Amino acid sequence: MLTFARNKLVSVAVKDRDRLSIHAILDDDIYGLEMDLDVGIENREILAIAGKWNRWTTPECSRAMPFLQEMKGDRIDEGIGDRINKVLGRRGCRHFANLLTECCHAATEAARVIRWENAKAARPDLSFRSFLKEEARGENNGSETGASEKSASTLRPSLPRVETVCGGREPAGPGGHGGEGRTEGFVIDLHAHSFPASSCSSASVDELIEEARRIGLSGICLTDHNHVWTSGQVEALRQKHRFPVFRGNEITTNQGDMLVFGLEKDIKGIITLEELRSEVVEAGGFMIAAHPFRGFLTFSTVQLGLTPEIAAQRPLFQLVDGVEVLNGKVTEKENGFSSSVAETLRLPATGGSDAHQASEVGRYATRFFVEVHTEAELIRALKSKEYVPVAFRARKRPVKLPEISLRGACER
Amino acid sequence: MSENILKFSMNRCTSVERLDDNTLRSVCRLRDTFTCASVEILARLPDLEIIEARAQFHHEWLEPPDVDNILLKLPGVRIGAGMLKIIKGLVGEEEESRQISYMVEECCQAIIISLTRDILVQAPTSEEGKLEFFSKMVRDNIRLYNRCAAFAAGSRLVEGTEPPG
Repeated sequence: MLTFARNKLVSVAVKDRDRLSIHAILDDDIYGLEMDLDVGIENREILAIAGKWNRWTTPECSRAMPFLQEMKGDRIDEGIGDRINKVLGRRGCRHFANLLTECCHAATEAARVIRWENAKAARPDLSFRSFLKEEARGENNGSETGASEKSASTLRPSLPRVETVCGGREPAGPGGHGGEGRTEGFVIDLHAHSFPASSCSSASVDELIEEARRIGLSGICLTDHNHVWTSGQVEALRQKHRFPVFRGNEITTNQGDMLVFGLEKDIKGIITLEELRSEVVEAGGFMIAAHPFRGFLTFSTVQLGLTPEIAAQRPLFQLVDGVEVLNGKVTEKENGFSSSVAETLRLPATGGSDAHQASEVGRYATRFFVEVHTEAELIRALKSKEYVPVAFRARKRPVKLPEISLRGACER
Repeated sequence: MSENILKFSMNRCTSVERLDDNTLRSVCRLRDTFTCASVEILARLPDLEIIEARAQFHHEWLEPPDVDNILLKLPGVRIGAGMLKIIKGLVGEEEESRQISYMVEECCQAIIISLTRDILVQAPTSEEGKLEFFSKMVRDNIRLYNRCAAFAAGSRLVEGTEPPG
């Protein structure tokens, strides 16, 4: 028996000699919506757009409609998918964005058909495949070959990454740890992103470091996505700011994101966790599962039947040296769940802000019980397991720390 | 030009069914003017991990990608936050692979939404009840804040809720 079905229908007709008319429907168990679009045939500009809700969820879904108009005037090219997601998906409604993405792909394909029909008017025996070959070679006048061949790139969906509610059981476990504000020991934010090394960040490396110094951290570690800082660059930053700056790397694997330290290799694209593990071991480095349960608790753990004991059986935990149990970008429940899993596995636990702007630096950090001044000392300290994650920066509202005896974890 | 005659049409259906207590199957089927394709994934609860993926792909002019080989990379990937980057990276971004990648993502999104459906059926029917229900949803999962217009500043659903960060 089906538990969910989503049907999408897109039809493209010619409205007049200059424009296409597109009608699209999305209908699933939860949402029902329609979209009408006019697109220029030659330049593939969105000339008109209108949407309609048939079924929706929240009483505020109608607020999404004005954002449709922000796509008017945009042109369907290789970057349209990203723009749809940013403008309409994130600010308006991801389901309308999903449907618009389909419309844009359909418009591009329809324009291809029209170009063939136009070419065939002069050469009635021109087959579609022959036309495509000629177009690929740029032999058809005004074919805009490059753009049309890249049309499928619009096929990136808007992202219902998080659909709904968390709930269910609270992370279990006795004790507590960390604390807000300044703490004793040597406190390093082990997870921060700078721009332009991480395109998703809005903070320059200088801003991150200055903020870390201002709020009283002992050091900060740059962990840009699949980006290797050279030792020379980091040393220059240390000298410039007279502040301990370290380098790491957040690498995306098939099992999720990993924070690695001591790995010089510049890894691009998606690597398997096993391959990354081999690289890290060979380099004598250290690898931490970053925010391992980000998004896991979007749904009730009861609904999924997820317990820390079951989650601890995920193969990835056999391949990491530690677990990030305080991450500034996930919910407190998800952090708490990570803590429970780390405790179950008796893996060392770390904290990091995952800062993407300066104001986020130090929300969470890791308190070491020894001073750490060099990269070698950092890796040695991480391997010593003598540290605890801490909520360092005062939040606007009280933070409920994961209930777990982390001291116990790092004492073994 | 022949007015009112379609130049292109597309029909995409994505469905989810529960095979047993621990396994979900999601299938995305596409039929458009040029393409006939289907992608099927099996996901295991409770961690929503892809355990199997297969596909069929026929296109009017694109060379069929080596779908079996491509999809072998997917088992182990978790359906949830961050999955799109991983899927895109594993399946590839060559033109022949894009549609397959998109259909895998559609399957994964459908699984997420199907789980949402189970929550949404509990929503009250009254306006006040809905406001409270969805407000609580944001409070309980602050990552939803600013995810869409309904959960953005100015919406009644986030009144009194402090934005993250």
